[in-house]
Parts: sequence; C-alpha cells; structure tokens
Amino acid sequence: MNGVHDLGGMHGLGPIDIEQDEPVFHHEWERRVFGMFLPVFATGAFNIDEFRHAIERMGPKYLATSYYEHWLAAFETLLVEKGVISADEFAARRVALAGGMN
Amino acid sequence: MAINAEQALAATKVGATARVDAAVLPRFTPGTRVRTLNLNPPGHIRLPRYIRDKEGVIERDHGVFVFPDTHAAGLGEKPQHVYVVRFSARELWGPQGGAKDELLVDVWEDYLEPG
Repeated sequence: MNGVHDLGGMHGLGPIDIEQDEPVFHHEWERRVFGMFLPVFATGAFNIDEFRHAIERMGPKYLATSYYEHWLAAFETLLVEKGVISADEFAARRVALAGGMN
Repeated sequence: MAINAEQALAATKVGATARVDAAVLPRFTPGTRVRTLNLNPPGHIRLPRYIRDKEGVIERDHGVFVFPDTHAAGLGEKPQHVYVVRFSARELWGPQGGAKDELLVDVWEDYLEPG
C-alpha cells in the first residue's frame, strides 16, 4: 500500500535524531510492549507480515507516534480483527485502565 | 500456543528468519539488468515507492524467502528468491542524485521483470 510509513526519499521531515548512548527503552511501558510481542505472536493469530501491515494501516497517526506505539497499535488491531478479543472487551479494558484499575 | 519466560528469552536472543528451505529456481542471475514493476496494491508490499518502475542490476541472490505480500494477506508463503539489486542514484532521483552514488536494495523476485 502507498501508506504513510513509506518515507524513503521524502523531504521536509527534518534530520534523523541520533542519540548518544541510546537506551533500549525510553519508558517502562515500552519494555512491557516489547515483552508482549512473543506471547501475543505465540497465539498464532497473525504472522509477522500481517503485523507489519497492521502498522502500515495506522494512517496519519503513524507519523505522530513512536516505535513501540506502532507495535501496540498493531496488537490492538490484529487481536480484535482475528477475534482473540472482542472490540467490546478492548473498549471496556481501556475504560478500566483509564480509571486506574490494573 | 503459550510460551514461558525461558522460551521467550531464548526466542528473543535467537530472533527469527523469513528464509524458506524450498527448492525454488531463481529467475535472475547476478549481473542481469532488471526493472522493478510499477506496483501500487492496497495491501502489504515490501517494494519501497522510490524504487518502483526503476532499472537496476542484480548484485547478489540472497536465496529463498517468504513473499510478504501474499503472507500478509493470508494467501500463503509463495517462497521465492530475494535479490540485492543495485540502482544508480540518478535512476532513482534524477539529476539531484549523486553521479557516483548507488543504492543496494533487497528486492523479491515477484517485483522484477527483465530490464
């Protein structure tokens, strides 16, 4: 697809931010999202190319979100699409987490 | 299938590969001129936009790999050769490309036709 992810050769996006001593994770939640990959992948609900395609389907918000936010978006999209969780379950969980429930 | 912490750690260290152990004959050999197809499918594709409909030369054959386009669409692995293709910067960027610059890109066989 001719998605927003395909940035090769585009102008106007500014310089690449090269960090000195770049940490593996910038936030603790990123470590958790990384840790989610294998257990979620091991359900067999999707393959690696479906995972990449799910990220490409994020649309404009792809450009305003970070690497591990892309991963999380793909988990959310695919787990609902593949019926591992329902859209209602996902929405209810979001509400619960926003309310402080762990 | 569920995995335990030990298996997760091992898998993280080893990683994974899309290489396929299948006897698939290559359509192209190193040194052959090729042209990328002008493909714009709504689904997944691993041919970057800036190398669509461009001429290059086969530099190397990586071997046989899963084809991401079909794999992402639930249409199977369609194992095929992936090549390193050498493009001149002028071919990709026109007069703004450096005269001596070249770009090497991994390209699946289904994206190529004879140049």
